[in-house]
Amino acid sequence: MSIRLRRRQFLMGSSALAAAAAFGAGPAWAQGATLRQFFWGGQARADRTYAVNDLFTAANGASVDSSFLAWGDYWPKLATETAGGNAPDIVQMDYRYIVEYAKRNAIAPLDEFVGGALKLDGFDEDQLEGGKVDGQLYGISLGANSVAQLVNLSAFEEAGIEPPNRDTTYDEIREKGEAFKAANIRGGIRIIADGSGSEPMLDNWLRQKGLALYTAEGTLGFDADAAVEWFTLWQGLRNDGICVTAEDQALDTNGPLETTMVVMGKAAMMPSNSNQLVAFRTLMTDNLTITNYPRIAPGVGGGHYRKPSMFFSVGGSSANKELAAEYLSFFVNDLEAAKVLGVERGIPCIDKTREAVAPDLGEADQIALEFVANLGDLLGPLPPPPPAAAGEIDASLLRVLSQEVAFGARTPEDAGQYFVSEATAILQRAS
Amino acid sequence: MATQVDTSASTGAGRVASPSFWSGVWQNHAPGYLFLLPWLIGFLGLTIGPILTSFYLSFTHFDLLTAPRWAGIDNYMRMFTNDPKFAASMRVTFVFVVFSVPLKLAFALGVALLLNRGMKGLPLYRALFYLPSLLGASVAIAILWRQMFAGNGLVNQLLANFGIQGPSWISNPNTSLWTLIILAVWQFGSPMIIFLAGLRQIPQDMYEAASLDGASKWRQFWKITLPMLTPVVFFNAIIQTIEAFKSFTPAFIISGGTGGPINSTLFYTLYLYNEAFGFFRMGYASALAWVLLAIVALFTAFSFLTSKYWVHYDD
Repeated sequence: MSIRLRRRQFLMGSSALAAAAAFGAGPAWAQGATLRQFFWGGQARADRTYAVNDLFTAANGASVDSSFLAWGDYWPKLATETAGGNAPDIVQMDYRYIVEYAKRNAIAPLDEFVGGALKLDGFDEDQLEGGKVDGQLYGISLGANSVAQLVNLSAFEEAGIEPPNRDTTYDEIREKGEAFKAANIRGGIRIIADGSGSEPMLDNWLRQKGLALYTAEGTLGFDADAAVEWFTLWQGLRNDGICVTAEDQALDTNGPLETTMVVMGKAAMMPSNSNQLVAFRTLMTDNLTITNYPRIAPGVGGGHYRKPSMFFSVGGSSANKELAAEYLSFFVNDLEAAKVLGVERGIPCIDKTREAVAPDLGEADQIALEFVANLGDLLGPLPPPPPAAAGEIDASLLRVLSQEVAFGARTPEDAGQYFVSEATAILQRAS
Repeated sequence: MATQVDTSASTGAGRVASPSFWSGVWQNHAPGYLFLLPWLIGFLGLTIGPILTSFYLSFTHFDLLTAPRWAGIDNYMRMFTNDPKFAASMRVTFVFVVFSVPLKLAFALGVALLLNRGMKGLPLYRALFYLPSLLGASVAIAILWRQMFAGNGLVNQLLANFGIQGPSWISNPNTSLWTLIILAVWQFGSPMIIFLAGLRQIPQDMYEAASLDGASKWRQFWKITLPMLTPVVFFNAIIQTIEAFKSFTPAFIISGGTGGPINSTLFYTLYLYNEAFGFFRMGYASALAWVLLAIVALFTAFSFLTSKYWVHYDD
């Protein structure tokens, strides 16, 4: 009996100690405010972001608790945390999701902080506009980028073929592709990846025809004829060995950059984004550059647009909204921070930071900057944000249909018809 | 003390919830329940709670960001009337189960029979053969599989020695599911260990008597080994069938989470995952999970009902 008592006393004593430790540490730890930050990206982006966070802590005193995931894992985690009322203070936001999050108050409007904690003097008007939902500012663009084709210059040199330039059309890609195939280098590498399942490439092609992927009302911006033409175009390129085979293209699961056709050495070109040149150069020893997507005919442009590559938004339930706004202000304005960030998230949106960054840029960054700054006649207006179901249409419809055509399970005609009817149904179900 | 409680409980049959009954239970069993508490909290909070919640959610539309909206049986209706991907994922899963489970069991039994012959270094072989089962569900093995069955992977390099130009196994819709079936069969270790234990239980005198009567090894296998082993076969078949229905990681890794090419590796669980965490349709995903539960339960019930015709218990 006495032993038991002693044991109990011991237990009570130790648990009281543990409780005291837990409660005692709490308040002291919470004294300096901490912002929680969450973003998607790779190690290169994380290194730069953490460096900026250190600069912010040095300047402001508040610390930033930051974590990151790959794109595919990021969104489920963010949605789960938001649902649990545990959203981070600073979240990286994409053009595709900003409307959804804003409408559900999962991110906070920032208008009240503009001019105060959030200084946006000299901020590019278009980029600012891109972060607005129903007239209110929900996201601060972290940089402008544009879709671009990644080009393996070394492969073109080896094949003895002139690489594409800003005037190159789909027809010329076909001609060059014939020559490329005839050159038969590197075990039969093809000139271009199969772009039929690439949403940005379809978007670009449609815009050059004066159509759009989605309308401002969130409906499909093209009809079955256009979809059939698209699948037929790629069917031709595939059958003639201009683009990669169905089996090769299926290896690209839209996952890590390592499984893309250029990195795997299956193609000399593929659809990509201007800010990704930096990341691709770290994966290959070949000389890489970027150029625009092909034109549908000589002199036709307007397919490209400068889009906010990503935003920072403030969590709707954040207790430190003003501090978070200060952080955003620091992130886009501070010249030291800008130099650390470079153009890895896109071209800075404020004149003076852009000018501060330019001289120190590496060659790849320089190419990306010039590409986005000099789009000229290739540039069209910024399309409205895509509807909520766009991600599903891309992942479970466009990419699957492109494979079905490639493997011969559907004709291009059938795929085009099916795409339009099924996409319309998905859009209706989601609205 | 104990007798006291017993009488109070039996005399108070009409009013079971009387204070004396509960305080009696508490006084007598408090330590037991306290010891049970950590498990009980986990079971109620982390298992029963989520299960009931998912049952409720299966009748709603829920996107995580806004509150669930009641949908009645919409989700179930859509699944059975208007969802080609549901049908596709069902087909893929059934093909996987129907081929991978019997092949795996046959393979496991074969290896167990070999190991049962009492060779030297048996513990080492047993461990080696069991290893894939431990590694099988891991991400690393799935990635290794992806490399092995790629267009220029190990498998095609081996085939090239015989002058065969193999396809890109994992990225061809005709062969991709088979790479997953082979991966499942390769993880035969755990049923193999159980078979081995079952084989050890068969009395040797049966074989001796059969040999004296002139029965061949082949005949002994069909007339003694297999009938005596049927309870173990039954157990393994049920466990492996459930495992196969639940299989997720290999398809997720090998297809990059897409279930491609052309939905050829779209396992039911992978479709469920994509609906939930790809497109944030938690309600629909919950309904899918309950249908999977019903299917697995039906399969198991069917196995139990038919078992009396083919499973022999010697007692």
